[in-house]
Amino acid sequence: MIGALPVAIGVAAVACGGEAATPAAPASGGAAAPKGAPIKVGASVSTTGSNGKTGLYQVEAYKLWIDQVNARGGLLGRPVEMIILDDESDPTIGTKLYEKLINEDKVDLVMGPYSSSVTQAVSTVTEKYKFPMLAAGASASDIWKRNYKYIFGVYSVAESYFYSVIDIAKAAGMQTVAIVNEDTVFPKATAAGTAEYVRKQGLRIVFQEQYPAKATDLSSLITKVKAAKPDVLVGGSYQPDSILLTRQAKELDLNVKLLAFSVGAAIPEFGTGLGKDADFVMGPSMWEPVLKTKGNVEFVETYTKKWNREPDYHSATGFAGGQILEAAVAKAKSLDREKIREALSSLDIETVLPGRYKVDDTGTQTAHIAVVIQWQGKEKPVIAPDSMANGKPKLPTPEWKARP
Amino acid sequence: MVAASVTGLAARRLTSGYTAAMVLLGVGVSLLPLMVSNYILTFVLQALMACALAGSWNLISGFTGYVSFGHAAFFGLGAYAAGIAIAKAAVPAPVAIASAAIVAGCAGLCLGYPALRLRGPYFAVGMLGVAEALRVGITVAEPVTGGGRGLVMPPQDVLLPAYFSMLALVVLIVAITRAVATRPVGLRLLAIREDEVAAEVTGIQTTRLKLVAFATSATLAGVAGGIYAWHMSYIDPTTVFAGSLTVRAIAMTMLGGQGTVFGPVIGSVVLSVIGEVTWARFPFLHNAVSGALIVVIVLFIPRGVTGVLQDRGVLPRSRTL
Amino acid sequence: MGTDLATAAQVVVSGLLLGGLYALLAGGLTLVFGVMRVINLAHGELLMLGAYVACLLFAATGLNPIVALLVSIPVLFVVGAVTQRFVVNRVVNAPLLTSLLLTYGLSLVVTGTAQAVWTNDYRSVPFITGGFALGEVSISRPRLLAFAVSLVLTGAAHVFLTRTRWGKAMRATAQNADVALACGIDIDRARMLAFGIASALAGAAGTLVSFLYSVYPEMGRAFMLKAFAVIVLGGLGSFPGALIGAMILGVVEAGAAYLSTTQIAEAVIYIMLLAMLLVRPHGLLGTAER
Repeated sequence: MIGALPVAIGVAAVACGGEAATPAAPASGGAAAPKGAPIKVGASVSTTGSNGKTGLYQVEAYKLWIDQVNARGGLLGRPVEMIILDDESDPTIGTKLYEKLINEDKVDLVMGPYSSSVTQAVSTVTEKYKFPMLAAGASASDIWKRNYKYIFGVYSVAESYFYSVIDIAKAAGMQTVAIVNEDTVFPKATAAGTAEYVRKQGLRIVFQEQYPAKATDLSSLITKVKAAKPDVLVGGSYQPDSILLTRQAKELDLNVKLLAFSVGAAIPEFGTGLGKDADFVMGPSMWEPVLKTKGNVEFVETYTKKWNREPDYHSATGFAGGQILEAAVAKAKSLDREKIREALSSLDIETVLPGRYKVDDTGTQTAHIAVVIQWQGKEKPVIAPDSMANGKPKLPTPEWKARP
Repeated sequence: MVAASVTGLAARRLTSGYTAAMVLLGVGVSLLPLMVSNYILTFVLQALMACALAGSWNLISGFTGYVSFGHAAFFGLGAYAAGIAIAKAAVPAPVAIASAAIVAGCAGLCLGYPALRLRGPYFAVGMLGVAEALRVGITVAEPVTGGGRGLVMPPQDVLLPAYFSMLALVVLIVAITRAVATRPVGLRLLAIREDEVAAEVTGIQTTRLKLVAFATSATLAGVAGGIYAWHMSYIDPTTVFAGSLTVRAIAMTMLGGQGTVFGPVIGSVVLSVIGEVTWARFPFLHNAVSGALIVVIVLFIPRGVTGVLQDRGVLPRSRTL
Repeated sequence: MGTDLATAAQVVVSGLLLGGLYALLAGGLTLVFGVMRVINLAHGELLMLGAYVACLLFAATGLNPIVALLVSIPVLFVVGAVTQRFVVNRVVNAPLLTSLLLTYGLSLVVTGTAQAVWTNDYRSVPFITGGFALGEVSISRPRLLAFAVSLVLTGAAHVFLTRTRWGKAMRATAQNADVALACGIDIDRARMLAFGIASALAGAAGTLVSFLYSVYPEMGRAFMLKAFAVIVLGGLGSFPGALIGAMILGVVEAGAAYLSTTQIAEAVIYIMLLAMLLVRPHGLLGTAER
C-alpha cells in the first residue's frame, strides 16, 4: 500500500551501548581512558521507510563519532554511549521516540533525526523539554522560523542549495531557468529558495512545476520543459527522480546547457546508474571526500574502514553534528543543557564540513559553505567555490545527439 | 440477548464480567498519567488513536461489510480542518476539533452517497481512490494547507489534554457501537452485510442506513485526526493520508473481531503492545515480522479473538461484547 | 515542439508507452481476481522481485535484462504457484476482506525481507537509453522496447487463456468453481496455475521496469495504485478490460500531466476512476456479480 508504516508500530534499536562502553585504546594523543558513568546520547534516525537509505549513512556516522570520542577520552572524561532508534521515516513515530529517549532512557543529550519533516515534528518535543538539538539531517528553513530556542542547523538551509549553481550559470551567460521539484518538504524549500535567487540575479524563470513523490513517469513534465526552452534545468530532487529526469530528458531529447539536481546528483550511485549520461550534470553537495577540511582525510579513512563503504555527505553532516556537540559540551564544561544551548549558539568552529559552524539568533546555520560538483567521466570534481575546487566546470552541456 | 452456548445465567455473568474488565481497562488508562512517563503516555495516546480509527472503521465496515480502504481520508481531512483552524484562526482546541468533526462528517455524507452504490471490491478500491484524490487535493491547495511542506501550528504542550480527548473519543466510539449492536439497528446493519438484497426486501432502508453509518464513522475518524493535529502541532499530507493508517485499523479490527463492540479495542491493544515489544528483537526485520503476524491472524484466527473465545464457549454469543 | 498537433502526438505516445507496462502488471492482478476473487495486494512485491532478478543478474554478469526475462518469468511463476498453493488457497472462499488483509501481510513480509537482504539502496540497470525522432515526436527506446515486450507477453497470456485446455479450465473456474469441479476440472491446480501466471507477468513487468526506473524494496507500491485503478476501470476479472483500461489510464495520466501538472494528474486519474464507476459500477468490460 502507500506509505511506509508497517502495521505494528515498531522501532529498531541499534544496540551500541556495549560497543561504546569499552572504548578502543587511547589514540596517539595519549588521552586517558574515560571513567565514570557513561553519558547517554539519544537519537532516532530513519533506517527503514522512504528515507532509510540516506538515514543509514547518518547512523553510521554517529557510531563512528562515538568510537572516536571514547578513544579521545570521552566527554568531560566520561565514556559516551549512544542510543539510536529507527522512526521508519514517519514523523509520528519520531515524536514518540524522542519522548522515549528523554523520559524513558533518560538520555543526557540528543542528536537530530534524518529528514526535514521528521526534524520539524520532533523538534516540538525537544523544545518542550529544553533539550538542545543539532539538526544533523535537516535543512528546510521552516524549521528555524518558529522562534525555537533549542534547535541548531549544521549545514546550509535547503533554500540556498543552488545559489552557486545559478552563479555559474549567470557567469556563463545563461538567462532562462526551469525549476522542477518533488512536492515534499525539502525539495519544495530548495525550489522556493532557488526561484527567489534566480530572480534576484536577474535571470528569468520560464517554467516551474512540482511532481509527486515516487513518480514513475515524468515524460509530460519533460515535454513541457522542452517547449519552454530553458538554458538551465534545476531539479529539487532525490536519487530516483534525478535519475529518472536525466533518463527521460535523453529519451525525449531535451537539451539544456546546464542540468543540476539537489540531493540526487552528488550521490555516487547517480554516476553508476547513468554511466556516461551522468556527465555534465551538476549538483550541490554539503561535503565531498576530496575536500581539504579539518580532519577530513582521517574521517574518510576511518569511516571506510569501519563500514566498508565510502561516506556520503549525509555521513559527514552526521559526523559534524557529533563534532559540534562535543565542542559545545567542552565549552559548557558540564552537561547543563542551558549552558550547552548557549555554547551552541555562540560556537564558531571548524568541522569536517566545508566552511565553519556558526548560527544566527534563530539557530539557522550561516557559515557552512555548500560546494558544487559536476560529473566528468567517472569522477565528480568540486567545481565551486574556487577556493575549494579541484576541477573546472565544463559548459555548456552538449546536445544529447552530439554525445557518444 | 441470545446466549447460545451457555446457560442464561452463566452467560450473563460472563458478559458482565467481560464488560467489567473493559470498564476497568478504561479506568486504568485514565489513571495512567498519574503513574507513568510521558513516553508511555505518548505510546498509549497513539494506541488510542489507532483504536479510534479501528473502532470507527468497524462501525461501517465491520457491521455492513462495506470494506473501506480509504478510511484514512477522513482522518486526514479532520487533521487538516483542525490544523488550519488552529494555525490560521488560532481557535481554541474544542472549536478546532468540532470543525474537524463537521468537515469529516460532511465529506462522509457527500462521498458516501455516491460511493455506497458500489459493491465489494469496487467500493474498496473506489475509497482508496477517494483517499488518494483528497491527499493530492490537500497537497495542491498550498496557500491554505501548506502543501507538501506540511502545516505548522504554534507548538504547545498538550499531551495530557490530547490524551484525555482521545480516550474520551474511544469511550464514545465504544458507547455508540454498543448502542448500535444492542438495538435493532445493529441487526439491520448486519443484515446488509449478510445479504443486502434480502435486507432490502424485508423492508430495511439500506441506502439511508448505510449512509448514516458511513457518515458517523467518518465523523469519528475526523475527530481522531483533529486531536492528532492538535497534539503533533505539525502535519503533512503523506502522514495523515497514509494508507497504512487504514490497513492498521483493519488489521486491529479483524484481530479483535469485526462487527463486535470491544473487538477493535482488543485488537489495537494487542497489536500496539506486540509492535512495541518486538521491535527491539528484530531491528531490521520488523516490517516482515508485522507482516507475518497479519498472515497468522488471517489464517488462524479469521474470526478474531472475540470469535475464537465464543467458539470455545469461553464467551457467550452476546452482541454486547 | 513545432505544432500543437505534434505536442499532442507526443503526449499520446508517452501515455501509450506507459499504458503497455500498466497492462502487463494489471493483467495478472485481474486474472487472479477473476479466477479466485482475490485482490492481491502483494502483486507489486512480485514486480519488485522481478526487478531484482534483472538487477542482480545485470550486476553480477552484465546480463541483458531482456534475456533476464527467461529467468525472472519461471522464477516468479514458481514463487506465485507456491504462494497460492500453501497460503492464498486457504482463503479463496473467504470474504473479500480476509484475502485483502492476507495479501497485505504477505507484501509486508516480502518488502521487509527485501530490505533486510538488499538494503534500501536504489539500484539501476544502465541498459538501453535515449530515444529517436519520428517526425516531431521523440520516442523513448527503452520504453518502446518495454512496451513491445509487454504487448507480446499480454497477448501470449490472452491466447493461453482462450485457446488452451488449461486456459479454458481457468476460465471455467472463474465463472463457477463448483460447476467446474463437477465437470472434472482440477480447480486447485487451475488456481495455482492462474496465480503462477499472474506472478510471472508481474515479474516480467518488474524486469522491464528495472531499466526504466530505480530498483528498491518498496518500488512495488509506486505502481500498485495505478494497477488497481486499471483493473477497476477495465472491469475486475476481465483480461481485455485490463489492456484497454491500462491504455486509457496511461493516456489520461500523460494528458492530464501535460495540461495541468504531474501532481494534479494523480488526482485526475482517481476522480476519473470514481466518475466512471458511478456510470458503470462494474468497470468497462466487467460483469455484474452477486
